[in-house]
Amino acid sequence: MEIRARGYDSALSLRELLSGVVPDKLSAALAVLLCSPARIVSVDGAWVMDDTPPLAENARRLPLAHDLETVGYLETTAKDEARVRAVTIIMESFMRSGARYFMASEMHIEVVKSDYEELQRKHAALAESEARYKALAENLEARVKEQVHTIASAHRQLYQAEKLASVGQLAAGVAHEINNPIGFIRSNLGTAQSYVQKFQSVAEPVRSSGNAALVSAWQAADLDFVLEDFPSLLQESVAGADRVARIVSDLKGISSVDKTEDEIVNLNDSIRSACNVAARQINDHADLELALGELPPLRCKAGHLGQVFLNLLLNAAQAMHKRGKIRIQSRADNEQIVILFSDTGCGIQPEVLPRIFDPFFTTRDVGSGIGLGLTVSRDIITAHGGSIEVSSELNVGTTFTIHLPIKQENR
Amino acid sequence: MAELDEAARKLTIKLVYYGPAMSGKTTNLMRLHDLLSPDLKGEIMTLETQNDRTLFFDLLPLGFHTASGWLIKFKLYTVPGQVVHDATRKAVLSRADGVVFVADSQRSQGINNAESFQNLEENVRRVGLDFNTLPMVVQFNKRDLPNVLTEEEIRARWSAAPWPLMMASALTGLGVKETFIKLLEAVYPVLDKSFSLSDIHGTDSLTFINTVIGEPLGNPG
Repeated sequence: MEIRARGYDSALSLRELLSGVVPDKLSAALAVLLCSPARIVSVDGAWVMDDTPPLAENARRLPLAHDLETVGYLETTAKDEARVRAVTIIMESFMRSGARYFMASEMHIEVVKSDYEELQRKHAALAESEARYKALAENLEARVKEQVHTIASAHRQLYQAEKLASVGQLAAGVAHEINNPIGFIRSNLGTAQSYVQKFQSVAEPVRSSGNAALVSAWQAADLDFVLEDFPSLLQESVAGADRVARIVSDLKGISSVDKTEDEIVNLNDSIRSACNVAARQINDHADLELALGELPPLRCKAGHLGQVFLNLLLNAAQAMHKRGKIRIQSRADNEQIVILFSDTGCGIQPEVLPRIFDPFFTTRDVGSGIGLGLTVSRDIITAHGGSIEVSSELNVGTTFTIHLPIKQENR
Repeated sequence: MAELDEAARKLTIKLVYYGPAMSGKTTNLMRLHDLLSPDLKGEIMTLETQNDRTLFFDLLPLGFHTASGWLIKFKLYTVPGQVVHDATRKAVLSRADGVVFVADSQRSQGINNAESFQNLEENVRRVGLDFNTLPMVVQFNKRDLPNVLTEEEIRARWSAAPWPLMMASALTGLGVKETFIKLLEAVYPVLDKSFSLSDIHGTDSLTFINTVIGEPLGNPG
């Protein structure tokens, strides 16, 4: 049979029913009321109130009932029936009162316990639900952050791609338009040079012909000087046309950002191209010093890296408050290519330095830049598995250091 | 489940009067105390009331001795009807052998009756009893009041329910004993099956009921 905790409806013994009274005082009171000795004994005789010793042989035993059952006896030698009855009623009232107290307290305990368990259950459920929501909230925050980062990065790249694409288209168009005239100019200049040589070959026959009118006209036109100066004029023009052709070619290289496939290039060539394209802006502000070491060929998006170099060069040029020096170094060591862009410009304020790669951060006036150059430069370098760092000292200069791994796997 | 005490030759049966607040559960018990005259009848023990409302429970003990000399004891309990005392209701209901659901016949009390009945069903399950097999009688009390549902309405509404429907007016005593007898009729087969009342104790259903209510053998009620 199942053993259960004592409940409010358990059967109670005489001793339990009388636990609320003071035994010696009640015993004494009973003796007075009955005018005779008396004692209260449990139904099985095992418990005697106040341990009163047994009474004389002729004592009467009167049942004390509780809850329909006899639970004990009143033993007394008293003869007065009315008194004995009254005492029995008093005793049963005490027992009833004791039972009432017992049941109420047991029920109270049971109810409190049950309420407490219910509270605990609710608390546990609440704690569990709170933990679930907390985890969800934390996760949500991280996921939102991640999404925002992805969107921002995608937005930047889209912006830059569109910008570069339009620059590229423009540059390609310009290059194409210039290439044709520069081609025939260069070709015509070559022809012109051979024509001048033909003119030179007739100078001596004219001088020695003895035709005074011809000689005086020759001298009046100063054709000796013309024939002497003409080749060098043409030579300078050829050099100029060659330079235009080279710039156009570099411009095409720099603007080939819309090419998405990798090329194998020597980055020193990319650096030189960038320098050529930026030459005008640089020459106004600074002297350029190239210290380019031996570099292994690199598989990369050359147009994108060219954009980074051009960016850094133009930034350096703009940092010059007075004429200064821009120095570009390149070297290969430890399986990586290291390129440094150093300038002797105004430097970057320390409080601004940590933010220069942030999107849309700019120290320039409104309209002169939207603050994406360095952000995109870093994105490009990161996409090549490399890194870009900056160190700067105010009024001394700034150095950007680019590290690019030579073996680029899984890119 | 009734408590069997082999040593004391005693079987204790627990019957519970359940229902919404103020439906007359305590009044039922008081009337039974007046109307019944079994061998043994205790006083109604009322535990803690507040403004005449039951806080814990009321208890009426009844009993008789079988021919075999066993004591069959009935403990009739009421539960506190107010919603806040659910833990007490649950405690009183545990190990019940039978239930009288005392509903209030007044038209305004429909929702209270329904909620209390639903609460009974929940608590029966929570204390580990089977609602489908638990002996039960449904009593519609307060028939003496105006604005009560008609008996036809009640019987129509409860037509699908398996329990006996009793009309009562506890205040006047009408239907109180009849409700109790219906419950005893429902409880007896279960007890007989578990404790062989008929075979061992020579107590058949009619004897059982008549002895509890204190009627001479014959037609009860």
